Parts: sequence; structure tokens; C-alpha cells
Amino acid sequence: MAKTRELKRRIRSVENTRQITKTMEMVATSRLKRAQDQVVGARPYAQALGEVISNLYDPELEERFPLLRQVKEPKQAAVVLITSNRGLCGAFNSNLIKAAKSHVEALEERGVTVHAHGIGRKGIGFFKYIGRTWTTERIDIGDRPTSDDAQGVITPLMEQFAEGELDRVDVVFAKFNSPLSTPPTILTVLPIAPPAPGAVRQKGKGGGEGEVEAPTTVANYILNPPAEQILQAMLPLYVQNQMYRALVETAASEHGARRTAMKSATDSAGDMIDSLRRTFNRARQAQITQEIAEIVGGAEALSG
Amino acid sequence: MHVRIISPERSIFDGEADAVVAPAFDGEVGILPRHAPFLTLLGQGALTVKADGETQVFDVEGGFLQVVHDTVSVVAEHAQAREEGTSS
Repeated sequence: MAKTRELKRRIRSVENTRQITKTMEMVATSRLKRAQDQVVGARPYAQALGEVISNLYDPELEERFPLLRQVKEPKQAAVVLITSNRGLCGAFNSNLIKAAKSHVEALEERGVTVHAHGIGRKGIGFFKYIGRTWTTERIDIGDRPTSDDAQGVITPLMEQFAEGELDRVDVVFAKFNSPLSTPPTILTVLPIAPPAPGAVRQKGKGGGEGEVEAPTTVANYILNPPAEQILQAMLPLYVQNQMYRALVETAASEHGARRTAMKSATDSAGDMIDSLRRTFNRARQAQITQEIAEIVGGAEALSG
Repeated sequence: MHVRIISPERSIFDGEADAVVAPAFDGEVGILPRHAPFLTLLGQGALTVKADGETQVFDVEGGFLQVVHDTVSVVAEHAQAREEGTSS
């Protein structure tokens, strides 16, 4: 008797949990949809920006733009770790943390001083737990990052890089391949990697309406202001945009991971309920059988 | 000619137009169909797109404007459609 009551209570409790995880799954699904739209919406801008930069890019310019400065042996590096503010999304955050940790350790082995910048409660919490300090930490960027958020994170780093206080800036984020594939990825934001070759142009002096050397996509551009000034303005935007995309993709990945985690939680709650219910039914049947046996036994004893 | 207005977050306008007037860094530029390939930086101000006698106004700031293959791409740091104004 006591056993069936216990079972009943457990079934009810698991049912409640299933209700919760199911709701969370649905919430994550709808947020995922929105975040996915944001990822897709960010694509044309990134594409247009990348195109223009690779059209204007010229290896000779490297020395003139601090943001393109390539350092052979970096001494000071910044690592930006993006994690989520909330848990219950499976191994999502711990994967990111693991990637960041091994990356930081690899850098330190090469004698690089690492300045860690944390975004998202989960990553910040873990690194504090293992006794690391953050140079900056931000938990105010939610699951709908804006490009202003990205700007706020990357602008100080860009300034430090331009002044030579930092030799490289890496971002650890979750790349959003699909809701089910969100591998932690390390992206070197600074120095800006030379854009894809094949679109190297010859730059005309001063006036800037230079002759173009065989790039396939572009005709003779009229440039106003000259290429150098345009690049000067575009490069920070490019860096900002990479940061923005990292934030957006991580947000989308988080929801994808949460949906998956909640789905499997809901499924295993269902399995658990099934098996509990079977045990419960068996216990109840056993009890009935026993009662019948007792009645029959009692009747027999009276008539006997 | 084809016109696209893109902000970091999303594509704001994508369609055919007869004329575009944009705030470049050093003053307004007007672009009509079959403009030569052109690249300039954007300043801050109102960008007008005229199509079929209708005028749409957008507030833009930063970024660049590119004309290539009769396609105008306005890639702005901030861009927003303005809630007013339909005149010939």
C-alpha cells in the first residue's frame, strides 16, 4: 500500500518536470527561430562589407593601418569568451569554456600574457571558480545582441590593438552551423586576416580612381574619398561586424542547444513515467491478487 | 536599377528604383540608373529612394554606398525607414 502511494507521487513529480521541460523546449524553439532570422539577416551586411574590403585591400597598405598590423611573436593577447547567461542548455557552455581554457593555456605556454574578457554569466562564473580574473566582464548582453553591443565590446580592444597594447584579439564563440551543430570556434578578429586573394587592386595615387587589375567582380570604381580613407573607415566596421556575428551566432546556438537538451529531457521524462507506471500497475495488481487470495482463503476457512 | 539598403541587423530595403539621393560624407549624391561604378562613404542624414513616383525616406548613418552593375548597395552602420512622406 505504502509502495503504490510512493510510486504515485513520483509519477506526478516526473510529470510536472516533463511539463516544465516541454514548455522550455517550446520557448527555446520560438526563440531559436527569431535568433536564426537574426543570423540570416546579418549575412548581407557582412557579405557586402567583406566584398568591398577585399576589393580595396592591398598588401602594401598593411603598414599604414594599425588594424592590419601582423605580429610574429605576440606578447599580449585578448581572449573574448562568449557564453550564455542561462544554463539548462546541455554541454553548450562547458564546450565553450573548455575551448577557451585550452586556447588560453596554449597561448600562455608560448609566453603570451592573456587578458580575458567575458561575456555571459556562465563562462564568467566558471573562470572565477578556477581562480582566473577577468579584465572585463559583461552579463548585460541578452539573447538579442545588437550591433551596438558588439561595438561596446570590441571598440576598446580595437583601440588597445591600434596602440600596440595588444598583439591579437581572439573570440571564442559557438558557430551556428545548424541548431544541432554548434561547435565552439576560435576566431582571430585582430589583426584582420587579409581577405581572400584574387581581388588585389592597384591603387592610384591621391585621386584614388585607380586602375583595377583584373578583379573579376568589380569594374572601374570611382572612389570618393580615396581607397585609403575608405579602408580606414571600413576596417573598424568589419571588425565590429565579426564581433556582432559572433554574438548573434552564439545566441542562436544557445537556443538550439537548449531546445535539444530540453527535448531529450522531455523524452527521458516520458520514458521514466512509462516505467514508473508499469511498476505501479504491477504493484497494484499484486495487491489485488493478494487481497483475493486472502478473501478466498478466509471463505475457505469458514466453509471448511 | 536595383537598390538594396542593408544595416548590420538586416536588409531594410530591396527593390527597384528610379533614383536615389544619399548623404555621402561630403554632401549629397544623386544616383540615377546606369551610374558608373562608384564607391563612397556615407555621412549622416536622409536617404531617399524614388520609385514609380513614390518616395521612401530612410535615415542612415555611417557605412558606405556602392554602385556596381546598376545595383546600388547602401551598407549603413545605422539605417531605419522613416515613418512619413509620400509625394511625387
